[in-house]
Amino acid sequence: MMSSGSVVSMQTMPAALNDPGSARSAAQKVLIHNVEFYYDKFKALKNINLVLRDKRVTAFIGPSGCGKSTLLRVLNRIYELYPGQRATGEVMIDGENILSPGRDLNLLRAKIGMVFQKPTPFPMSIHDNVAFGIRLYQKLPQSELDDRIESALRRAALWDEVKDKLKQSGLGLSGGQQQRLCIARAVAVQPEILLLDEPASALDPISTQRIEELIAELKSDYCIAIVTHNMQQAARSSDYTAFMYLGELVEFDETERIFTHPKERRTEDYITGRFG
Amino acid sequence: MSSEHVVKGYDEELRKLNNIITEMGGLAESQLSAAIDAVVERDSELAASVVEGDAKVDQLQRDLDNLALRLLALRQPVARDLREIFAAIKIAADLERMCDYAANVAKRSIALNQAPPAQPVYALPRMARLAQLLVKDVIDAYVARDPDKAYAVWMRDEELDEMYASLFRELLTYMMEDARNISASTHLLFMAKNIERIGDHATNIAEDLYYLVHGTPLTQKRPKGDNSNLEVVMRGRAQS
Repeated sequence: MMSSGSVVSMQTMPAALNDPGSARSAAQKVLIHNVEFYYDKFKALKNINLVLRDKRVTAFIGPSGCGKSTLLRVLNRIYELYPGQRATGEVMIDGENILSPGRDLNLLRAKIGMVFQKPTPFPMSIHDNVAFGIRLYQKLPQSELDDRIESALRRAALWDEVKDKLKQSGLGLSGGQQQRLCIARAVAVQPEILLLDEPASALDPISTQRIEELIAELKSDYCIAIVTHNMQQAARSSDYTAFMYLGELVEFDETERIFTHPKERRTEDYITGRFG
Repeated sequence: MSSEHVVKGYDEELRKLNNIITEMGGLAESQLSAAIDAVVERDSELAASVVEGDAKVDQLQRDLDNLALRLLALRQPVARDLREIFAAIKIAADLERMCDYAANVAKRSIALNQAPPAQPVYALPRMARLAQLLVKDVIDAYVARDPDKAYAVWMRDEELDEMYASLFRELLTYMMEDARNISASTHLLFMAKNIERIGDHATNIAEDLYYLVHGTPLTQKRPKGDNSNLEVVMRGRAQS
């Protein structure tokens, strides 16, 4: 579906658009151009320019309030649920500016799945939790729906643990399982982009590793953006890392570079624990 | 080191790492200096104390390894901190090896002292003085985190190589002149080689420091002044 807003081609993107990927890396999936964000009068994001590559994981790190979660919320326009919040600039996905007013939000959100810090299973069965999103967008025959649910649960590495209790409530699962259920629910709609906002911060180390392993597997199919306070998690699971501070993008580079010799002093101070 | 960590204990541990390197550097200098004094003065007692002193350096290296391992496991260092620890582990290994070479010089001097004084050994202390200077400069560079000073050491090692090559030829000549010189000259040759190797380890430290500060390796080709490994001396030709 074409947006009624302006369509900016990649050629018109400024050279200053941060993109540490090379011509040989995966395709550019999301181009964030001059994005600014306001909570009423407060400017929470300042002139953000960067590229998210397809089939790669991009991690956003930075102290609380630096704007990393806000940026994630811009990418699926979830902020529009709240009055007084607005974004300016352009977020190009497959050549369309998703911030244009005419964009169909339901279709946009089908394309972009999101998982939050605290697991948010609906008070319904495991089966229905995963079916929920699918039913919103598509009317599938029962057998096809069941196949889709199984495949989503398998993708989320949860199938073996729940296949015999699909009718039980999703709320009865452990925290780590609930989070994987939420990932299954996001994946079931067959999105192209996955946004993970602190997906493992409420989980124990083993569940955290399961989520990280899952991210590594999902990467082959999706463009993934993850916000995390856990620097080691960013280092372990991402290809690119963006360091944000006070609403600005301070440094964006390959994760290995950020964690061995970042260019910016502020990045170095933050990741080495020298932030005063 | 730059500004402090939020967790003060981390800085304390990194400082400790730093101090061990500095202490090992000081020992490398003094061990080499004492070893050469033992050669020149034909002082076997001093030589024995150098050999004995090597254990202290070995212990310091073990301490450093333990501390570094602890930091890696418990602090999970990244960026500059990671490079600090990585460099410290490598530098400590180089310093320990330098001290081994100094101890070997001392050991050989005890063997030399069994025989009457042989050839003049003046070139050896000259080499040792330069090696000592390289060690001192590279440790100073480490303390000041001064990659330019380290680079100067890296370049200057060529001089030490040249001194070694010239001593190599000199000692070969002695050996060819009189077969009775072979035993002493061989010891002297190994001593010279040991000192030359100390210089090489100083250049390793210079490279580690360069990486520590810049985050990228020093990749250019280092000038080499020793071509003795390519030399073959024909008895007939040398005598003519």
